[in-house]
Amino acid sequence: MAQNNLLLPQVAVVEEISTETSDIKTFKVASQGGGSPLEFLPGQCAMLSLPPVGEAIFSITSSPTEKDYLEFSIKKTGSVTNFLHEIEEGYQLGVRGPYGNGFPLEMLKGKDLLFIGGGIGLAPLRSLINYCLANRGDYGQVDIVYGARTPDDLVQRAEIFDNWPRASNTNVYLTVDVEWEGWDGHVGFVPQYMEEIGFAPENRIAVTCGPPIMIKFVLEGLERMGFKPEQVITTLELKMKCGVGKCGRCNLGDRYVCKDGPVFTYAELLNLPPEY
Amino acid sequence: MKKIVKDKLPSLWEQLSSQATLFLPVEQDGVVNFAPWEEGDSVNLEALNTVVPPKNVVFPQTETYMRFKVENDKLHIEPFEQNGPYVLFGARPCDVAGITLLDKVFLQEPEDGLYSRRRREGTVISVACNEPDAACFCTSFELEPGMAPGADIMVWDMGDYLLWKAQSEKGEKLTGSVENLLQEAAEEEQKAAMELKERVTAKEAAAAQEMGWDPSGVKETLKDMFDSDIWEQFFRRCLGCGICTYICPTCHCFDIQDYSKDQEGGRFRCWDSCMFADFTLMGSGENPRPTRKERVRQRFMHKLCYYPSNFGLYACVGCGRCVRKCPVNLDIAQVIKEVGGVKSGSE
Amino acid sequence: MKQLAEIMKDIAAQSLSRGEVDLVIGWQKGPLWWQSYPAFIEGNEGNGETGSLTWDSFCVPNLSRYLLEELPERKKVALFVKGCDALGFNQILQDKRAEREKVVLYGIPCTGLVDPDKVESAGLGRGLLEVKRDGDELVFVYDSGEQKAQARDFLYDKCLTCRYPNPVVYDQMLGEAAPVQPEERFESVQELEKMDADERFAYWARQFSRCIRCFACRNACPACSCRECIFDIPEPRWLGKANELSETQFYQIIRAYHVAGRCVDCGECTRVCPVNIPLQELNRKFIKDINELYGEYDAGVDPEQEAPLVTYKTDDPAAFTES
Repeated sequence: MAQNNLLLPQVAVVEEISTETSDIKTFKVASQGGGSPLEFLPGQCAMLSLPPVGEAIFSITSSPTEKDYLEFSIKKTGSVTNFLHEIEEGYQLGVRGPYGNGFPLEMLKGKDLLFIGGGIGLAPLRSLINYCLANRGDYGQVDIVYGARTPDDLVQRAEIFDNWPRASNTNVYLTVDVEWEGWDGHVGFVPQYMEEIGFAPENRIAVTCGPPIMIKFVLEGLERMGFKPEQVITTLELKMKCGVGKCGRCNLGDRYVCKDGPVFTYAELLNLPPEY
Repeated sequence: MKKIVKDKLPSLWEQLSSQATLFLPVEQDGVVNFAPWEEGDSVNLEALNTVVPPKNVVFPQTETYMRFKVENDKLHIEPFEQNGPYVLFGARPCDVAGITLLDKVFLQEPEDGLYSRRRREGTVISVACNEPDAACFCTSFELEPGMAPGADIMVWDMGDYLLWKAQSEKGEKLTGSVENLLQEAAEEEQKAAMELKERVTAKEAAAAQEMGWDPSGVKETLKDMFDSDIWEQFFRRCLGCGICTYICPTCHCFDIQDYSKDQEGGRFRCWDSCMFADFTLMGSGENPRPTRKERVRQRFMHKLCYYPSNFGLYACVGCGRCVRKCPVNLDIAQVIKEVGGVKSGSE
Repeated sequence: MKQLAEIMKDIAAQSLSRGEVDLVIGWQKGPLWWQSYPAFIEGNEGNGETGSLTWDSFCVPNLSRYLLEELPERKKVALFVKGCDALGFNQILQDKRAEREKVVLYGIPCTGLVDPDKVESAGLGRGLLEVKRDGDELVFVYDSGEQKAQARDFLYDKCLTCRYPNPVVYDQMLGEAAPVQPEERFESVQELEKMDADERFAYWARQFSRCIRCFACRNACPACSCRECIFDIPEPRWLGKANELSETQFYQIIRAYHVAGRCVDCGECTRVCPVNIPLQELNRKFIKDINELYGEYDAGVDPEQEAPLVTYKTDDPAAFTES
């Protein structure tokens, strides 16, 4: 029998699949007997197994306050994700995890929070946003700046349009990169929009996730607005295989992104080689 | 201490292989590698280093750990392990040190069950080096060619006989099981072995010193050398092959892959190499280490800076395999020398 | 040979300082006697590094292959070529992976290079400081003195059978032509041909069972010039990563087929293999078959010559599917 084989997944069931955009779907995954297969923190990841195609790691997009299932928003980029996009509800897959450090919840307590997301990068932020909204008393003001290329590329529409704007002391600012028929909201890139709105750095933590180029400009914008590197949090995405800091693939300086990350403050990143 | 006369080694192989899988340095077509011993194999205890280090005994190049079957929408998963005790005979002290460096990675939390089981099930018998190679520099890492503290049993080749010393509980147990083949060693025989050990250490240390293979301080120097031009002079000649990583006793990167026929198959982990272009290539097409320059830097930074930062020790045991086998002589000894030179140059 | 090394240094310094080339690829001496490795010298006057160029009995790495990486980044590159490097260069030219006008070739007549394993096997490696070539002899230098031996006994097997020790293409030849006296190169192939299919399968299965899948044979090969190798593409992964005999056979057979008709017989695959797989023997079987089927053809000798396996003729008498 296997003794603490870290790489062995458990079987779980895809309960629900919702189409977010032309290439992003959200998968609701539960244990065979029902309930979430894992206990986790916002920002942590899980490895999904689809034999015989393989395994890939994804951030968990649901909040830990949701005990019945795990949710993953997944974009088609390779063989595992292509395969995932073909399956139907009721399909069984393997799950192992949770992996990574998750967001520093203690550090966020009592603070105003600024979330800046782009495209599929909303996935890890969403877990934290819903966690904070479920524990509303622990956090100050919540501002969410989220954008995508077109209105059709925005994910979690029910939440970004309805649930979050209705939550107390919470603002949602949406933007799209290009003019689009039927879109009367803001048009422009996320980093610029963030600066246009303007956020004071006092008692505020910024959390950002999105395409690398967006993150680069967001970090610059935050610096201009007076945010210190310690006040800025981001999540990294590198190729990962084992999830437990041993296979060496996500090695970044003396850190392993799968284990010591994927969440880092910008201050921490400045001390690591820029290989991400 | 005990001893075994060399004439009795064939009986020893037979007796050990009857109680466990016996890994020995076996020669085939001029290549010596560790392999499960079979009657008729050509055992070579004189060859200093096997081409592939015995890390493949504790961390096989390919290791299936799971079987699966997909039926309609149902997925069946079961663990797969090849269990069984083994004896690794003939690992050199540097290779034993290599295994203890792998231990730090695989046995730290969360403990890797596949690896720890193999470590538990194995008894390691190390053979001291009497005549280190020109490429050997284990003494640079405070190791001794004549002593492997991490081995269960230590053996010294004294010509007609092997001096034999159990160093652990597992070693005592194995020694007891082959007692019929062993004799007590006389005091002067033990003394001769210890003198030989000291001589060999001193000789190798002097040679390594002369070559400038001194890593002390390199881990500190390298902390500020990520953007150094030094990587320019190294990477251009690199062929981007995986020789250095696969023959290195401390390299441990792996990949995970599935194989299947129809909807049934297995999942395995296998050695991978940070020298390969697709090692860090993501599904999106992005690659944080796009050229040989970043990959060469990663390999040496990992061995000489990142690993030491995590575990306090260099991830090199001075076995000299890369010095001998790199087709374009891009070896860690030269990197150590050049980086060390940078430090003294800037002072 | 010392003289030749001096000529190389001068010529490299000259072409860099005159701005004729922006990179010189040659060889440099490492700290140990068997180490002579590819050197890359760039910038005006080579930043004083041209003095480190060397030519000795260990300058074996085939430099032509580096053009694949270096040429796109450079205006013009100077390359020192032995006979086998020149063949490799021509093949890269024929495969349209280099432009002749972007390369300056300095030809080096080669009298064969020394296989360090043969030196070690003869027990001459201990305490060895340097190996010098003196005509037909080698001089082994130790602290305690010198020892001489016949060079031929220590040359790489591939050098003993070399038919083109003098570069077939060059812009300037450095030194006198080397004698051409190759031993029969198909001897081991003929031995293999004597085996029946099962014996031959067993022979190669044993050889390939040692393969550690490091891909050094591919990466050292001047004929392996694909921009992206099929074995490196992660999706779909054509070659399984398990080190199993069937996968290795698949890799090695595809590799050999892919260089068939383009292999210049430089033998680098065999030299770099860490586990002594006689890959050159496999490549030579293809060469021998091609010679017998299509007439004598030496890849890399003339890039303008029609290559037997990649030339399409409308009047081909054999059907495509005919076995």
